[in-house]
Amino acid sequence: MTTALPSPMQPAIQASAICKRYDQGPAALDQVSLEVRLGEVLVVMGPSGSGKSTLIRTFNGLEAIDAGALNVLGIHLDADHDERQIRRIRRRVGMVFQQFNLFPHLSILDNITLAPIRVQKRSRQEAESQARQLLEQMGIAEHIHKRPGQLSGGQQQRVAIARALALKPEVMLFDEPTSALDPERVKEVLDAMRALASQGMTMVVVTHELGFAREVADRVLFMDAGRVVELNDARSFFHHAEEERSRRFLNQMQH
Amino acid sequence: MQRRRQLLRHLRRHPLDSALSLAIVLLLAWALWATGQWVVEVADWRVVSANLPLYVSGAYPADQRWRPLVWLGLILTLTLVTLLWPRPRSGQRPGPMRVALPWLWLLMLPLGLAVLAGGAGTGLTAVSSRAWGGLVLTLLLTGASGLLALPLGVILALGRTSDLPVLRHGSRLYIDLMRAVPLIAVLFFGQLLVPLFLPVELEINRVVRAVVAFALFASAYVAEDVRGGLQSIPPTQREAAAALGLNAWQSLQLVVLPQALQIAIPALTNQAIGLLQNTSLMALLGLVELLGISRSLLANPAFIGRHLEVYVWLAALYWLLCTAMALLARRLERSVQPIPRAPGR
Repeated sequence: MTTALPSPMQPAIQASAICKRYDQGPAALDQVSLEVRLGEVLVVMGPSGSGKSTLIRTFNGLEAIDAGALNVLGIHLDADHDERQIRRIRRRVGMVFQQFNLFPHLSILDNITLAPIRVQKRSRQEAESQARQLLEQMGIAEHIHKRPGQLSGGQQQRVAIARALALKPEVMLFDEPTSALDPERVKEVLDAMRALASQGMTMVVVTHELGFAREVADRVLFMDAGRVVELNDARSFFHHAEEERSRRFLNQMQH
Repeated sequence: MQRRRQLLRHLRRHPLDSALSLAIVLLLAWALWATGQWVVEVADWRVVSANLPLYVSGAYPADQRWRPLVWLGLILTLTLVTLLWPRPRSGQRPGPMRVALPWLWLLMLPLGLAVLAGGAGTGLTAVSSRAWGGLVLTLLLTGASGLLALPLGVILALGRTSDLPVLRHGSRLYIDLMRAVPLIAVLFFGQLLVPLFLPVELEINRVVRAVVAFALFASAYVAEDVRGGLQSIPPTQREAAAALGLNAWQSLQLVVLPQALQIAIPALTNQAIGLLQNTSLMALLGLVELLGISRSLLANPAFIGRHLEVYVWLAALYWLLCTAMALLARRLERSVQPIPRAPGR
């Protein structure tokens, strides 16, 4: 699914000292710098309120940054929050939310084909055949004419993934995709994400699923209080994390 | 059986309860009997039966009365089709009839105007709007002002929730102002004052002036209903639309407004029914819609003193119209929202 960029050495996403503060609160993001490499799966972990969701929401402009700069697939973004740049990014970056955020008034099919038809101006016929294919991959083809409210949480989240993939994105952002699901529904969503990772999709995943992170992540970013605590190779992170704070977090997660 | 036993037990529980229940039942029975007796024996229905064409289309030329009748027939057919056509089962696409129905309804208004007015292009004799009246005029007034008030109300609601202070305060001012003035004042304003502001050559039809004033008034109420709908759409819906690359207009048009209007349907139904009943105020402006034609009939010496008959008949007619509207609205509500909105977690 990944299309070749001009320079293979260029990172998919590059954040340089980005800062973000909500109204009077403490800094949600404090001088965060990092790179997401093309084709890698970066898992973002950290206690709640550590800024992980805010971070990935800055990548497609859902949150404006106060300072610093972002480069997403070669598109520059800074505190000016230029709407046109943001829309260029959103056309190439897909996002999956914790609460699925499907459109309840549209059928599953229309949920998926809305953006391909309206944003990418593709023909309805082509968009629908692609939607069918994606739903087939996600194992929910039989629900194509139902409404989101008629599906289970796990099914809805897989529709949300299909909806994001329909735009043929080069990067996929996942904001706690399994946190709102019943435990027995988590696996079906993680399986879909595993399949996506194995196809070489560049993915940034905010999650508390240690098993998934261990198995699928190439690297792990650990955040606390809006700062990057550790950005490490997944194997190293789980076996001998460099920072004391990371080790404490991992310990708590395992008990 | 179960319910009857419950009722009996309830009645026996206390002698005062039983006495009260008995009294109410007797009172109802007596009222029904008296009314029935009046309707059948006392009332003189000639004031209605002799004037049916007037109730239907007012002073419309007698040899052209088939035109309003054809239009009413079409509306009646469409109403029945809408109410009786089977709904699509969930998980299926709506059939072509379901898709066509809203458009057919929308078509009714311009069709009615064309059929009634006639003249160039239609091959029918032109009939001035002065001659329009009765039920047909009531329906036209309701339809036209409703159709104008809805988009206007949506625009006001969007203005009211806009980020731009000028738009927000402007819309709020308009809404507050309109809601603070009685409808009859707005109607008189439209009839008497607006023409003063316009150049003499531009003489706007009386019916059009009434419709515009009516729509301006109703739009303020529509705006508040739509605003309620808009505010109940979680911001995450806009976020999801934005993340898919939809621009602000597309997000509004495809994601936010359809849901907001869907939520506002019950409140908007109320407005529509109110609108229908309020068209009777136009009788005070000299329009001969249902109430207007009745008042002019009562002024006829042949029917003097027949107030009760006329108003009972009018009440029945309005009841019928409002019931039909309520049924249609319920149908609409169900067809656009066949499932509970709760996110299936």
